[in-house]
Amino acid sequence: MDSVYLDHAATTPIRPEVRAAMAPYQDARFGNASSLHRWGREAASALEGARAEVADSLGAKPSEIVFVRGGTESDNLALFGSWRAGRALGRPPRIAVTAIEHSAVLDAASALRDDGATVLVLDVAPDGSLELEGLSTYLEAAPGLVSVMWVNNETGLRLPVEAVTALGHKYGAIVHTDAAQAVGKIPVSVATVPVDLLTATGHKINGPKGTGILFVREGTQLHPLLHGGGQERRLRPGTEDVAGAVGFATALRLAMTSQAETDRRLSTLRTDFEQRIAAALPDVRIHCGDGQRSAHVSSIGLPVEDGAGLLMALDLEGLAVSGGSACHSGAGAGSHVIAALYGSDDRYATVRFSFGYGTSEKDVERAASITADVARRFAPISREIPVS
Amino acid sequence: MSRVLVAMSGGVDSSVAAALLVEAGHEVVGVTMKTFCYSDTPAHGKTCCGLDGIVDAKRVADALGIPHYVFDVEEDFTRDVIDDFVAEYARGRTPNPCVRCNSNTKFRDLLARGRVLGCDRIATGHYVRIESAGDGPRLARGLDDSKDQSYFLWALPPEMLPQLLFPVGELTKKEVRRRAHELSLVTADKPESQEICFVPTGDYRDLLRKRLDTVHPALEPGSIVRADGTHVGEHAGFAGFTVGQRKGLGGGFAEPMFVLEIRPDSREVVVGTRDEMDRDVVTVSELNWLATPPLPGARVRTQLRYRAPAVEATVEWDDASGTLDLRLDVPHAAVTPGQSAVVFEGVQVLGGGRIVSARRSVPVAEVNA
Repeated sequence: MDSVYLDHAATTPIRPEVRAAMAPYQDARFGNASSLHRWGREAASALEGARAEVADSLGAKPSEIVFVRGGTESDNLALFGSWRAGRALGRPPRIAVTAIEHSAVLDAASALRDDGATVLVLDVAPDGSLELEGLSTYLEAAPGLVSVMWVNNETGLRLPVEAVTALGHKYGAIVHTDAAQAVGKIPVSVATVPVDLLTATGHKINGPKGTGILFVREGTQLHPLLHGGGQERRLRPGTEDVAGAVGFATALRLAMTSQAETDRRLSTLRTDFEQRIAAALPDVRIHCGDGQRSAHVSSIGLPVEDGAGLLMALDLEGLAVSGGSACHSGAGAGSHVIAALYGSDDRYATVRFSFGYGTSEKDVERAASITADVARRFAPISREIPVS
Repeated sequence: MSRVLVAMSGGVDSSVAAALLVEAGHEVVGVTMKTFCYSDTPAHGKTCCGLDGIVDAKRVADALGIPHYVFDVEEDFTRDVIDDFVAEYARGRTPNPCVRCNSNTKFRDLLARGRVLGCDRIATGHYVRIESAGDGPRLARGLDDSKDQSYFLWALPPEMLPQLLFPVGELTKKEVRRRAHELSLVTADKPESQEICFVPTGDYRDLLRKRLDTVHPALEPGSIVRADGTHVGEHAGFAGFTVGQRKGLGGGFAEPMFVLEIRPDSREVVVGTRDEMDRDVVTVSELNWLATPPLPGARVRTQLRYRAPAVEATVEWDDASGTLDLRLDVPHAAVTPGQSAVVFEGVQVLGGGRIVSARRSVPVAEVNA
């Protein structure tokens, strides 16, 4: 029995073009980009080529791209780095985040709160609307850092980053967005949406794990978290992962150039999937269905108590999906995102289906039918569903 | 072949149970119950998933090529097993946490999860057997007398019997180890777990101190008395005693002294000689039957402690209270309230219950007279 992988928001397979682009730097061109000799120059040239390619994809300047080792690191560099820079400049430590940020942002913010920062956590409605008035009041008192994700990883919900950026800049705040789930899925450009800091990661866009960038707009003050050899304009010291940078740049370019087509293709698949699910299981809830969503995620609430058992059962039938978020589904803990959107006493179990490179109509059809079959095993509400 | 859910503790028995089921051609799904945290911080998420048992079970499952999941039953386990364990000691009784765990937590959860995971059968590494008979499956002792674990399984929901598989119940421990070696399972030489799993230090009183109120009668000093009320000493808390215990009573007695009874209301620990320990009527409540309950006057065998031999008894029912009296042919020493009394017919487990009390039908004085 073939398995169906619908967990592209957790991670994605590496595209062959990406693997091919990386291969020389994992082989003959192994040099250290800081070395003066030919090997070093080759590596440095590849690294700077990758940087220019990333900048081009995002509408940035090459000097604004800092290669880091993944999304979590990028988020932490954005929050801690700007907090440290602000502290050096004597700015009051203030941060605003949404309640549905990735834990790389939420936990970093909470660590900063332990260090004395004031943290505002903004509520988000299931349609994606934010308390912008509350944010205004907060920033009016004193600006700081605002971090709002572009696309939520658990629901696909799009947040109004453009409006938040305009508001933040009105009060002189620094605006960071975690765009890990947005790049390649929706139009993302720092030229049209002038955020100051932007996080992207390779493994969500068919690139290698452990790669990513932080876009740092020229003039944005940032301090490093690590200290060492001064690489990446001192913001991320450590011998550069040239193959990773090349892989990331290639993956990002492929994702960006096919973004509109991806959106069309995945929208069709998701609509088909959600229609099938709703027809088979009328009691389900489609999370953020009334909001603007990226097409690659379909988060479904099922009225069953045993969410962990549901995921295990789906896995046994050959369907790879996540609970609220793959980062903590193994521990069986509930999702802070669903709790923030639908309340902490919510009785629904969440299954996140996420589509991507290689997902076919047949996959979606099978996923819907497996889910419907498995959900009917759960008592009591699923039992009332008429068999179509 | 059917899909079988097998509970894998990370020990050698359940590892081999899983291997035998794979060998037999079943589609096997391994699970490990995460029952509690070793750390003092309660429910600390992921840190508990690193427990050796879970890691070993996963490695065995990987080697066997079967999926493996972790069932987090910590909340149920704490409520149904640990809280009960503490409450029983606080009442002066000596609990069987493994019986509670099997009946209330482990098998109940396996049953529920097994259903939604599409499993027709449920297996564990217990040394017991399922025998098929005209009136349906029966639970029977394992073939290896020295490892038999039927004492812990009397409280299973009877409706589960048709679903249960106990592959190692047909083997001796030696054979299980040999099979584990043949399969190069990482758990092949793992030592037996003897302690109560949630008391890794081996001293349950640490747990009681942690979970009972700071000042609790069970942990307060009290008197050690003889059966006639004579004061013979002091103890530091009756929760430290179990019926039949000899340790911790102090010296100075003409002959060895044993705990006869614990009286939580007066905090007294009653002690006496070996002869005074004998009881021949055992009252049992919280009964569960895996077969037709024995009729009044039925001749059965009963096991009153793990690893104790089963003894001949006659069944008497107290219809008013619904309790069972087991009248032992030969008086038995150290019958302990809180422990299980398991009722057998031959090697078949009929059922069992918790010992409420035990008495001597003929007073000691008369016997001695």
